[in-house]
Amino acid sequence: MSDRLHGKLERTAVGFMLAIVVAGSVGGIVEIAPLFTIHETVEDAPDMRIYTPLEAAGRDIYVREGCYACHSQMIRTLRDEVERYGPYSLAVESKYDHPMLWGSKRTGPDLARIGGKYSDLWHVAHLINPRDVVPESNMPSYRWLATTQLEISDLGGHLAALRAVGVPYTEEMIASAAADAYGQSNPDSDQSAGVTERYGDETQVSAFDGVKNTVTEMDALVAYLQVVGRLTNAAYENTAAPEQVPDPNN
Amino acid sequence: MDFDHETMLELSKVWGLLYLILFSVGVVVYTFWPSNRARFDRAQTEIFDKDDTPWR
Amino acid sequence: MGQLTTGEREFASVILLVLMILGIAMAAAGRFDPMGVHGGMVFLYSGALLWWILTSFFGKEPDASRFSSYYDDPIKVGVALTLFWAVFGMFIGVWAAAQLAWPSLNFDTAWSSFGRIRPAHTTGVIFGFGGNALIATSFHVVQRTSRARLADQLSPWFVIFGYNLFCLIAVSGYFMGVTQSKEYAEAEWYADIWLVIVWIAYFVLFVRTLARRKEPHIYVANWYYLAFILVVAILHIVNNLAVPVSLGNAKSYTVWSGVQDAMVQWWYGHNAVAFFLTAGFLGMLYYYLPIRAQRPIFSYRLSILSFWGITFFYMWAGSHHLHYTALPLWVQNLGMTFSVMLLVPSWASAGNALLTLNGAWHRVRDDATLRFIMMAAFFYGLSTFEGSFMAIRPVNSLSHYTDWTVGHVHAGALGWVAMITFGSFYTLVPSIWKRERMYSSALVEVHFWLAVIGTLIYVFAMWNSGIIQGLMWRTYSPDNTLVYSFVDSLLAMYPYYIARAFGGLLFLIGAIVASFNIWMTVRTVPVAVQASSDAPLPSGIYGATTSPAE
Repeated sequence: MSDRLHGKLERTAVGFMLAIVVAGSVGGIVEIAPLFTIHETVEDAPDMRIYTPLEAAGRDIYVREGCYACHSQMIRTLRDEVERYGPYSLAVESKYDHPMLWGSKRTGPDLARIGGKYSDLWHVAHLINPRDVVPESNMPSYRWLATTQLEISDLGGHLAALRAVGVPYTEEMIASAAADAYGQSNPDSDQSAGVTERYGDETQVSAFDGVKNTVTEMDALVAYLQVVGRLTNAAYENTAAPEQVPDPNN
Repeated sequence: MDFDHETMLELSKVWGLLYLILFSVGVVVYTFWPSNRARFDRAQTEIFDKDDTPWR
Repeated sequence: MGQLTTGEREFASVILLVLMILGIAMAAAGRFDPMGVHGGMVFLYSGALLWWILTSFFGKEPDASRFSSYYDDPIKVGVALTLFWAVFGMFIGVWAAAQLAWPSLNFDTAWSSFGRIRPAHTTGVIFGFGGNALIATSFHVVQRTSRARLADQLSPWFVIFGYNLFCLIAVSGYFMGVTQSKEYAEAEWYADIWLVIVWIAYFVLFVRTLARRKEPHIYVANWYYLAFILVVAILHIVNNLAVPVSLGNAKSYTVWSGVQDAMVQWWYGHNAVAFFLTAGFLGMLYYYLPIRAQRPIFSYRLSILSFWGITFFYMWAGSHHLHYTALPLWVQNLGMTFSVMLLVPSWASAGNALLTLNGAWHRVRDDATLRFIMMAAFFYGLSTFEGSFMAIRPVNSLSHYTDWTVGHVHAGALGWVAMITFGSFYTLVPSIWKRERMYSSALVEVHFWLAVIGTLIYVFAMWNSGIIQGLMWRTYSPDNTLVYSFVDSLLAMYPYYIARAFGGLLFLIGAIVASFNIWMTVRTVPVAVQASSDAPLPSGIYGATTSPAE
């Protein structure tokens, strides 16, 4: 085979690959690119809070244990979902969620409005053995969370990484991450005042697992579950119609 | 970035559609281009050539 | 090994030494973290491979005659690894299914709770089983259809062992809770970076082999493989962009957030189905089906049209996973439209496959291998129809979040992906090991029926449970209140969860039977007398030729 022919063959292969890439990428670009500017159009939520270090750690545990495989966090704009779970989810609510945990399967119920629905005690009992609370449940038990100490020393690093991808944590928040995690789960400790100072008065400070002076993974997970859907009230102020009216311009 | 959401939407919707149509026409033309017939027919049967070694 | 020159052996040793050092570095940097365990695994894995090379380092070198034959050794290893992952991934799947019916089956351990073994199942079967099958068959198909030996001697091994290192790190990570939570892309940042490196090597090898081809035209099966390699690379890189907490920490946070993350995730997720689980396996179909049936593909042009249709349309369809969510409505509608249009190229492919068999039905009747391929085409048609149907917004409002989706996925995964793979393997194995036939055609038959019955039980159980679940969630009493609590709907699922686990078990047994059969073929069936010929067949290919090896 001559070099010229060889070159031609390679060129056709290259052109062919380009065609695949062009054909394949446009669909994604068309659908994804406008979402870079979506925050111009979605509901604004001036009251939007960000996760405290303890809640962020709880969210990481939620991810680690694969809770999203059976629980969604996305209430659709359908009547029965709104009546069963609460106001439908807004885009702004997951604005700071890296990654989003909308889920794709409900082996268990949706959790988008779980925060504040049950007591801390209920969550702890349920996580230790779901069938003690809901006899029909097929959820695994997570009893080891109550006995595993949360690794709080590197929480600052986690917040810094989150800041790098766009969550507005301040230097101060990053520096006091470990203390804030301790303070949030120990209501009467010296560190607890700083938590509400930095993350807002709405922040729940509580001995989530019922045991003080320790910060367990149970503390973190329950703290997270109690804040899901409560970072902003936007969803409750915007519940006129369960089904979104299609906007012809949008 | 001076792209606002409306511009992005416009680009997506108009050019996306145009692109779809042009692309489909291109593919159909390629597939039915008369001089391509021979190579397609060849490719269709060539895999049955019995051999178990590379050609060079 | 015998086919590598000293220079290539040296180069392989250098690569492995670098990897071992990387493993030590990971173990040191991540000593307080699951990453340290992975460092140890990288060290042991590359160490074992290095030991294997060194033990035969001074063995006989190959002569130039190696270039006059196809390079099948990496394919053989790929076949073995495919079967290993099939049995492993399906076993975890059956276990996970059983846990939904009997939740205590995790024996109160963290590593085996449902949320952790579920990604181990999906990664094990999609990447372990499916990915290895695609790599092994792509090496086979690209060599045969290009009439050229693989372009390089070392990189096929790098691709196969490197890819399996990725699978190993990914799956073992889930047991330790290392996950990004992105469905079908759960592996953490360092595994993702490694996969990019392996994938580039795969891409370069594939394209260089194509460039050595004899004909100016590239056979259509290779188009599908190429689309699979290229697009999966794009998807993988974009979806997995993330910032790690530190270089010694397995945890990372994706750069995408909220709505955009959802769109990127399902753009990835749906196109992983499209280009990993469809395009690549269509490549398999377009080679092994004509070969096994001894008939040329019904319409070559149709295969080209459907190729571009699939490549183009699929990329728009991902947003149908997000109907009625906070994603803008126009994106949802766009996704729905393209999902429905996708039915055209999909059915064109399925129809093309079935029409190829038209006139050879007696072969389908007698040959379980060909029947595997036919069933695969049938299930491909079925699940693409179902997919387009489920992408319609009102249908999706019922099916989404329920077991119907799970049933749909498994109609595709068991009925299409696994069956086309086994059909191809029963054709490929006797061919590359130069055996006259499989060890036992009766066992192929047994496997076929186990697979079909297992799939049907599974899919019907999930259809039933999904639709019941969806309907119960939206049932209103006359006075406009919801009739069923969530727990009511869960209780109704238990019988179906048991049936599903049973269907999956049958399929798993089938995979074990296949592994045994292939093992025995390699071990015991005598080597066929080589039908000597370098030349194309003298005349027609329609039935006059010898029947395929079996």
